[in-house]
Amino acid sequence: MTDNVFVVSAAMIPFGKHKQSSYVGLAVPPLIDALRSAGVEKSDIEAVYVGHSYGGMMTGQRICKEIGLGTVPTVNVDNACSSGATAVHEAYTAISQGLIDVAVVIGVEKLTQFGGGTLPLSAEDREVKQGITMPPIYAMRATRYLHENPATAEDLALVSVKSRKHGALNPYAQMRQHVTVEDVLAARPIADPLTLLMCCPTSDGAAVVVLASERAKKRLGVQKSIRVAASVLHSGHVEEGFRDMTKPEITYDSARDAYAQAGIEAKDLDVIELHDAFSIAEIIYYEALGLAEKGRGFELIRNGRTTFGGDVVVNPSGGLLAKGHPVGASGVAQVAEAFWQLTGNAGARQVDDARWGLTHVTGGGTAGLDHGACTIHIFEAA
Amino acid sequence: MSTTAGLSAEGASLPIADLEDESSIDTFDEGIRLVGTLCDQCGKRMLGARVVCSACVSTEVSRVALQSTGTLYSFTTMRVGADQPRVLGYVDLDDGVRTLTDLREGDVPLVPDARVELRTSGASWWFTAVAGS
Repeated sequence: MTDNVFVVSAAMIPFGKHKQSSYVGLAVPPLIDALRSAGVEKSDIEAVYVGHSYGGMMTGQRICKEIGLGTVPTVNVDNACSSGATAVHEAYTAISQGLIDVAVVIGVEKLTQFGGGTLPLSAEDREVKQGITMPPIYAMRATRYLHENPATAEDLALVSVKSRKHGALNPYAQMRQHVTVEDVLAARPIADPLTLLMCCPTSDGAAVVVLASERAKKRLGVQKSIRVAASVLHSGHVEEGFRDMTKPEITYDSARDAYAQAGIEAKDLDVIELHDAFSIAEIIYYEALGLAEKGRGFELIRNGRTTFGGDVVVNPSGGLLAKGHPVGASGVAQVAEAFWQLTGNAGARQVDDARWGLTHVTGGGTAGLDHGACTIHIFEAA
Repeated sequence: MSTTAGLSAEGASLPIADLEDESSIDTFDEGIRLVGTLCDQCGKRMLGARVVCSACVSTEVSRVALQSTGTLYSFTTMRVGADQPRVLGYVDLDDGVRTLTDLREGDVPLVPDARVELRTSGASWWFTAVAGS
C-alpha cells in the first residue's frame, strides 16, 4: 500500500533565451516562489531532486545554497529530456513509500550556453559518431509515418500552428506569435520533411514543484493541490534489428502502466502535456497514449480534436514547440502546467472543468533505443 | 575469431578497449563488409565489434561480416550541421541487423522500402538504392 502524494505548489520562469543568467540565476526565483506559495519553510523540506543534463557538477547544491537549503539529501538527476520528470518520479516514490513527507523538485537547463544548433549528444555513442542529431531522428520517424499513412506535411505543420496558438495564451511560453500552415511549410528546412517551425527552439528555463504526503498537506494547511494518480518511468530497450519508428514501445508501455496505476483510460483525460520536441512526435504520441489508433493520429490534429473545444486539450501551454524546451526543466514545467490546469489557475489557456491531466516526456537519442527514458504522470484534481 | 578479451582475467573485471577498433568496415572473405558480431550461444547478430551479446549476455561471440544488401527503412536529408545537405537513413540488412548509414543517389530513387547495397571507397562507406525488390 502506498501513500497518496500531492503536488502542492508550482512555479516557473518564462522560458526563453536568458543568456545573462546562470543555472542558479534561472532556478532560484521559481524555487522561492514555489516554497512561498505552498507556505513551506526550509525546515519542512526533507529532500531535493534536481533534473538537468548540462548543468555540471552539483547543480542542485549550487542552487539550494543560495537560500541556505542544505543538510537534507540533494539528488541530481540526468535522464536527458526526461530529467525533470524523473526527478518528480523520484520524489513521488520517496513520499509514496512513506520515507519522507515533503520534497522539492527543480528542473533547470540553459541551452544557450551552446550558442544554438542541435542538442549535444554523447560523443561516445556509435550513431552520434556517424553524425546523428535529434532532428534527423525525428525526421526519419516523419518520413516513415508519411510513407505508411495518408498523412501529409500539412498535418505536421498543423501541430506547430496549434502549439503557437496555445503558446500565444501562455505568459511562460517562449514563442507567442501565431503562425500559419504556409509559414511552417515555408520555414527553413532542417531535416526533411521537418522545417524550423516544426522543431522546438533553443531554450533556457527553470520550473519548481513541491510534493507532499496527505499528512504534510494537512499540516501545512495547503489550499491548492492535485493528487499524483500515477508516476511511471521506463527505460529504452535495445533493438539490434528492425524497429517500428512510428510505434515507440517505451511510450506505449509507459502509458499502459500509467493508466493501470491511475485506474483511468485515455478517454477520461481532460488535458495532456506531451513531448512534442518535433511536430511528428505529437501525432505519434496521440497513438501511443491511446487517443487514436496506430496510423490515425494525424486525423486528430486535422480535425481539431486536440485543441480547446475538442476531445482533450493537448499541450495547452504551447508544448515544447512553443513554450520552449530547456531539456531538464521541461518535465517539471509540464507538471506545473498540470497543477495550474487542475486547480483552475491557468488563466487564458484554462481548460474548462479539467479533472484528469497527463504529462509525458521522453529523453535521449541513443543508438539501438527508441528513447533512453520515458516518464508519464497522471494527476487528478483534489 | 572469438573474443572475450577485456572482460575478465583471473577473476578481475577489466575494461573493454572499445575505442581501439573504430572502423565500421573491414575486409572479409566475402569482400569489404560492415563489421558485425554473432553470438555463438544464441545466434543473435549485432552491429559492430562487440564483446557481449545483448540478448543472452554470452561473452562467446564472433566477429563476422554483415550482409551488404538490405532494405531502406527511412531516411532524411539533413539541411543543418556539417557537410549538409547530407542524406542519412536506417537500413535493415538482409541478416536482420539495422544500421544508420549515409545514402547516395543511385540509378533508382531513394524511397522507404527501396532495396539498397553497400558501397565503399577507402575508409568511406554508404548505401545506394538498386533495382529489385
